[in-house]
Amino acid sequence: MGDSQYSFSLTTFSPSGKLVQIEHALTAVGSGQTSLGIKAANGVVIATEKKLPSILVDETSVQKIQILTPNIGVVYSGMGPDSRVLVRKSRKQAEQYFRLYKEPIPVTQLVRETATVMQEFTQSGGVRPFGVSLLVAGYDDKGPQLYQVDPSGSYFSWKASAMGKNVSNAKTFLEKRYDEETELDDAVHTAILTLKEGFEGQISGKNIEIGVIDNDKIFRILTPSEIEDYLNEVA
Amino acid sequence: MSKIAESVPPKGGFSFDLCKRNEMLVQKGLKQPSFLKTGTTIVGLVFKDGVILGADTRATEGPIVADKNCEKIHYMAPNIYCCGAGTAADTEAVTGIITLILSHVVLIAITSALCYCFWYACNLFYLFNVAMLSLDMVSSQLKLHRFHTGRDSRVVTALTLLKSHLFSYQGHVSAALVLGGVDVTGPHLHTIYPHGSTDTLPFATMGSGSLAAMAVFESKYREGLSRDEGVTLVAEAICSGIFNDLGSGSNVDIWEKEYLRNYMLPNPRTYVSEKGYSFSKKTAEVLLTKITPLRELVEVIEGGDAMEE
Repeated sequence: MGDSQYSFSLTTFSPSGKLVQIEHALTAVGSGQTSLGIKAANGVVIATEKKLPSILVDETSVQKIQILTPNIGVVYSGMGPDSRVLVRKSRKQAEQYFRLYKEPIPVTQLVRETATVMQEFTQSGGVRPFGVSLLVAGYDDKGPQLYQVDPSGSYFSWKASAMGKNVSNAKTFLEKRYDEETELDDAVHTAILTLKEGFEGQISGKNIEIGVIDNDKIFRILTPSEIEDYLNEVA
Repeated sequence: MSKIAESVPPKGGFSFDLCKRNEMLVQKGLKQPSFLKTGTTIVGLVFKDGVILGADTRATEGPIVADKNCEKIHYMAPNIYCCGAGTAADTEAVTGIITLILSHVVLIAITSALCYCFWYACNLFYLFNVAMLSLDMVSSQLKLHRFHTGRDSRVVTALTLLKSHLFSYQGHVSAALVLGGVDVTGPHLHTIYPHGSTDTLPFATMGSGSLAAMAVFESKYREGLSRDEGVTLVAEAICSGIFNDLGSGSNVDIWEKEYLRNYMLPNPRTYVSEKGYSFSKKTAEVLLTKITPLRELVEVIEGGDAMEE
């Protein structure tokens, strides 16, 4: 295919109508660690593997799930440093929105602005697309919401979704087990089971991260001991 | 002049254009209106294991009371609050929340319409809005800092952000602040002057009523006050400002870990007219009644085409 001739320049379309660099970015995401999110009736849960390159790494210093605002959290799959930049920008945008309108930013607005940033990096000179997909979980007046944002800048609202290495198995698993009336606790169990499916090695509170947001609209990252409790309930 | 990078709404932030014009006018002989040591009494006090802030609630526009119950104690962080004297206090009277929503240009138009002195408005009220903006900006910066570090904000952080901001405006933002809070290192109380200098004190007063309040503090303050004693002393100091200073008045607001709005109301409205304030139609004598139906002046066409989209 003539695609390969067009694959190095970000801002040039290939004959098949694709931006090949973005496809490559999605591949980078696809080789990142699995992360997933599930929207329950009364909240949202997001979770990710936290595989560290060596046992010598201090796992308490690594945090993949981040808080954007008190009621919105995010997890990524792909290149960690890219996600740091996006998290920083999103937090600032959320704060600017609050200063201007004196209301906490709605989840859709924050997702839209983050997606805009990601899109800008696909249409500018001298930059490359972000190598991350984000799963944004939030709870506002419209209820619990889960969004996925891709390197291209497109975003989707999901009832349940997965990204990263084991995405096809995970999504099949979620499709089978998803139920609209699930409560948050059950959703956490489902999330753990889904992670367990493709997990290499022994799953524990130290090598996965889980973030939840329920009716109180406060996003919390679970401590390793809380995760262990859930693991014991599931096993 | 390094600004801590927070982007200011629309363009450019503070415009110094008017300052040149003012200098030109002064040279031509116009007498510059003197700066009001604007009506406020704000105080802060460190007691055994915390900080108490107090403020009056009168906002003045020259000799007129613009707001009888404004809020002068502003939120910086959950554990840090800030009283604003001068500019910051008056801003709320004139513009309230409008500050952040409208652009600067529209703001000047509105404030000048409200104020009795156009010249005064262009200068001072514009600056006032920037002062309010600065407090909000610092509280936003502190919030982002909390997200990035995962820690509670420290009072010295707020102090440094505020003083850098004020210094970069070279005193044109006339905000005199009493900043107080409790963080992991303990209780702290600071005063910040419009040019950006700061003091760290066990008790402090600012505003036109500062002398009256300081008199109370100097005679009754001692180290190791309990929380209730501290609150009583602060309320007394503010009352001293309320009753002895024309620029301060109405009610007492206190902050001690939580915001006690209108902690004391020493100036209630006691007289209420029994007759009320609505007047019956018979009050005014009707001399002449003339009704001109509009149809005589305006041609009304029925039907016609619908408007094209």
